[in-house]
Amino acid sequence: METLGALARSKTVPSHRFDVWYFAGGLTLFLFVFQFITGMALALYYVPHAEHAHKSIVDIVTKLNMGWLFRSLHHWGAQLAILVLFAHVFSTLLLKAYRKPRELVWLTGFVMLAISIFFGLSGYFLLWDERAFAAVRVATGGAGNLPLVGWVIKGFLRGGLDVTGETLTRFYAFHVAILPLVTIAVAGLHILLVQIHGMSVPLSQERKQGGPEPFFPNLFYKDLIVWLVCLGVVVTLAVLLPPEIGRKADPLAPAPENIKPEWYFLFLFQTLKLFPGEMLGMNGETIAIVIISAAILFFFLIPFFDRRSAMGQRSPLFTWIGTFYLVYFTVMTVIGFLT
Amino acid sequence: MKLDHSAVTRRTFLNTLLTGWAAAVASGTLWALIKFAFPTLGKEPDFVVLKRADFEGIPLNSVKPFAWGGKLGLYFKKQNGTVEALKGVCTHMECNITYKPDEKKFYCACHKGWFDENGRNIEGPPPKPLEIFDIIVEGDKLIIAKKGVKVELPKA
Repeated sequence: METLGALARSKTVPSHRFDVWYFAGGLTLFLFVFQFITGMALALYYVPHAEHAHKSIVDIVTKLNMGWLFRSLHHWGAQLAILVLFAHVFSTLLLKAYRKPRELVWLTGFVMLAISIFFGLSGYFLLWDERAFAAVRVATGGAGNLPLVGWVIKGFLRGGLDVTGETLTRFYAFHVAILPLVTIAVAGLHILLVQIHGMSVPLSQERKQGGPEPFFPNLFYKDLIVWLVCLGVVVTLAVLLPPEIGRKADPLAPAPENIKPEWYFLFLFQTLKLFPGEMLGMNGETIAIVIISAAILFFFLIPFFDRRSAMGQRSPLFTWIGTFYLVYFTVMTVIGFLT
Repeated sequence: MKLDHSAVTRRTFLNTLLTGWAAAVASGTLWALIKFAFPTLGKEPDFVVLKRADFEGIPLNSVKPFAWGGKLGLYFKKQNGTVEALKGVCTHMECNITYKPDEKKFYCACHKGWFDENGRNIEGPPPKPLEIFDIIVEGDKLIIAKKGVKVELPKA
């Protein structure tokens, strides 16, 4: 307690034109805690079995006191968590907060993003409705298109040759046990590193920044305000726009019409549509998956490619690359949403 | 017994022993864990046996689903009365397809792929035609088999 108090008293946060983006990290943390709590509540009633999963959710929503609210909160909390996480990632990217000595902060953050997306996929598979079923077939099948290791990943994720009840058991284990524990470890490391290094000041602002602001009480209370507003937004969305649940998954039913993945997969979905079935005598899917994987790997390792900002120099090339990633993601998501 | 000369010091010896022991335990644990976590994959069936009466009477230009292992199979009667059996799984991303009788085509809703009534991929992303099965009629049984597989039913 003493050390924590001392840390809180001595911690300061820089102030400059872009300091508002610092709130995205804290907000992500808040939403993760929110997801942990609402998720624990739902886990008291959810039945992770192919025969009962769908009905148990219908029961949670229709028969339990406040069940509709908790499911809806968990749904909207997840949507906002991923949205805020993307804002956090892209602001870090464009302000080059990943630069030396904060490479490991970036890497752990990227791992958290990957975990969150897997949280999302495994979470909506637990609905065991037609859409989730088709989505997981496509997502795990897509991973199966990776050369060499694809079939291992696909078999491991599916728990067999096809998407079945075995897959549901696995995804439940990922969603409620494995991913939360990894999250606590990685997020803990991420936050610890941020305390060690302090907040990154963008290169352009190093000479223009104002005096540092004390974290406690000034920014602590500002964080609380942001969290409270966010809680208000989540509750409002949860009450006004409760998520639907489709028909129970049937491995022999055709994929539903106008099926679309969750919004944070749309950019991948749109990218896959760009590639024809066959290219240069090879499977177009495989080429697409390899290119996407390479782009994601570059994104992951960007602190090591961006040598100039590591040396404290301006690095316009990487501003363009970062902008490209952001624009591509946004445009593809919007196109996917509208078509 | 005290040795006058030794190639290794006591410390190196103990460190090697300890590291080796730790590596053995770690690799054994990891190996067991991977063996356990990775599922037995199984395989698709070579053939399935259906009841003839359930399928032969379907109307012209329609399909009837059957279970091909855990996947969707379609028994398909064309407008001209000929029948086919095919795997109802899109060759693009493994979504289940549906038959559109008005257009006489198969359609995959996931990424808008189309196949003609012979299962050929004609539009959209699918890279390969649908898999067509052999149909064997034996008494009241309808046997759907992978192309080229020799079907041997257990003798009753």
